[in-house]
Amino acid sequence: MTRNSQALGADLVIPALALAFASYFFFSTADLVWEAKANGVIIGTALVILIALLVGRVALRVMRGEGGLGLDPLWQPREMAWKRVGLVAVTALFIGLLPWLGLTLALWLGLLAQLWIIGVRRRAILFWLPTWTAAAVYALFIAVLDSGFPHGPIENLLAPLLALAGR
Amino acid sequence: MTWDFLMGQFAAQFALWWVIWLGILLGIVVGILPGFSPQNTLIMLLPLTLAVPVEQALAFMVALYCANHLAGGVPAILMRIPGSGGAAATTLDGYPMARKGQAQQAIVLSFTASVFGGLITTLATIALLPWLSQLGLYLRSVEMVIIMLFGLTLIAVIAAKDTLKGLISGFFGLLIGVVGTDHVYSEPRATMGFLELYDGVPLVAALIGLFAVSEALVMIEEKMIVDDDARERAMQASWADTIEGLRITVQKWWHIVWTAFIGLFIGIVPGAGASIAAFVAYQQSRMWSKHPELYGTGIPEGVIAPESANNGVTSGTLVPMMALGVPGGSTAAVMMIVLQYHGMVMGPRLFSTNPELAYGVFVSMAVAYIFMIITILPLARYMARIVLIETKYLVPIIILVTVVAAFSERQYAFDMGLALVFGVIGYIAHKTNYHVTAMLVGVILGPLFEQYLVRALRISEGDLTVLFTSPVGNALWALLAFSLLVPLGRSWWQGRASRSSPPQP
Repeated sequence: MTRNSQALGADLVIPALALAFASYFFFSTADLVWEAKANGVIIGTALVILIALLVGRVALRVMRGEGGLGLDPLWQPREMAWKRVGLVAVTALFIGLLPWLGLTLALWLGLLAQLWIIGVRRRAILFWLPTWTAAAVYALFIAVLDSGFPHGPIENLLAPLLALAGR
Repeated sequence: MTWDFLMGQFAAQFALWWVIWLGILLGIVVGILPGFSPQNTLIMLLPLTLAVPVEQALAFMVALYCANHLAGGVPAILMRIPGSGGAAATTLDGYPMARKGQAQQAIVLSFTASVFGGLITTLATIALLPWLSQLGLYLRSVEMVIIMLFGLTLIAVIAAKDTLKGLISGFFGLLIGVVGTDHVYSEPRATMGFLELYDGVPLVAALIGLFAVSEALVMIEEKMIVDDDARERAMQASWADTIEGLRITVQKWWHIVWTAFIGLFIGIVPGAGASIAAFVAYQQSRMWSKHPELYGTGIPEGVIAPESANNGVTSGTLVPMMALGVPGGSTAAVMMIVLQYHGMVMGPRLFSTNPELAYGVFVSMAVAYIFMIITILPLARYMARIVLIETKYLVPIIILVTVVAAFSERQYAFDMGLALVFGVIGYIAHKTNYHVTAMLVGVILGPLFEQYLVRALRISEGDLTVLFTSPVGNALWALLAFSLLVPLGRSWWQGRASRSSPPQP
């Protein structure tokens, strides 16, 4: 048996999330007419039954001594856990700061921070990889497609050039 | 339709080669980028397509659409990140092939299956268009509910290693797909107070989170996507690997043909689309295989089936638009808007009033596929090299650039946050062996399933037995039961055989 399969508690995280969401669905749609919630109630009920089966299976295995309720597979390997948390935190920060910094600068800073977190220390790569990526994203999303991304200092600085090219 | 007429159409489309090339190149770029759908690109390019003559606009749109379907398989194979929902099934065997050091062969197979699958079904559509157009008329809400259920059974079959976990993933995805306002009363359900969720959960955010972000979070554990042996093989890759891919294509030609026709028929059904077609083709391919246990380990048939089917869909989607005036998908809807702007009226009369346009669309598609094989096949060798880049450089680019792409579908910053949330859920699912593909199938099917179920129940005044009253529907029920029982029966039979065989000395 593998080490991962012994930590059976991790198997219950997705069902716990699903159960929480199903409960929220039932609770929040309680006052709606039947047709508006029928599909969700049918699917949610089936989901709850499936989760009950899985919980029963895990309980049986724990009682047989085949595993415990640990969450180890989610953290392992340990040395990567903090890097993952860092990557998610920087991504959340990138999304949060996007309206103020604009797409290009936020992306440049986000890439720089993520490269650093993941262990890149070569200065040339830390500078050029974010620069080329941000430049390519700027060219595609702002200059060519003119999509509705928030503009920041870089976009405002380059706006006269784009206008000139448009003319 | 005469032979001369058809040849004239081909000659006219070949004369538009430069427009087709432009469409192909743009289609490949947006196809490789997760989150960039052909319909969004066409919407952004509306000022261009409305300004040029209708023949050029049509050739450009069709080429972009087909190339987009083709290119979605590239990131699915190299990084387990499908460029579009239609390529999600390609990850199942394409990525394991890349990890074995066979990325180049897998990409060549994906290209050839896409091109030949698309070409064969396009030519079949040209020949059978008047009859195929009638097919959509036989499928009403009852039959559509069963087709959706047919898609749902794939969840259990695809996730065969642990069916219970597969079903939980799939039903969780289905419940997420119910989020948003309902179809009859427009009552918001489970939106957590976010206005951005009133239209439902955006599929691009779900796709990017469940596949790209979650995969990147898992990928950091490895130095490279491939292990040392596979890296050696990938570094020595040469044109011989491209030829090897072509050899496998010739060897599996029949596989390409029949899975492409699955795509064609599903494409004709309005709303079904490439995602369902690819999964149905994958499941059918595995069901009829002599070695179903090898699916998921990186075998050519597992790449051919979904890629051939999702390109078979391209011509199928346009059939109801041309013949009935009902667009088969969102890209077809954008094309229809452009054609209507140019004064074309879609529907059965189009074949008598404007046969050049009616057949020209499909001829243009056939020509685009011919150009595509010349354009893209030589690129396979260079594309495959991406697996040699260290993950510490790939991961930040994958996470941030795909999260940026999540914005492009609806232009809400909210969708980027949602992609991150799906990324964390997908990471947990990866680590605990829940099937993210099953979850995505659920999210895709959820709104469609509800739409047809509610309509069927309305027609029958709430009587569920309506689902068993149609001859076509009952035939589909039988097919669904067959698809579920064959794999179960086969595993039971194999288990029995292995128990009864004497132990090896």
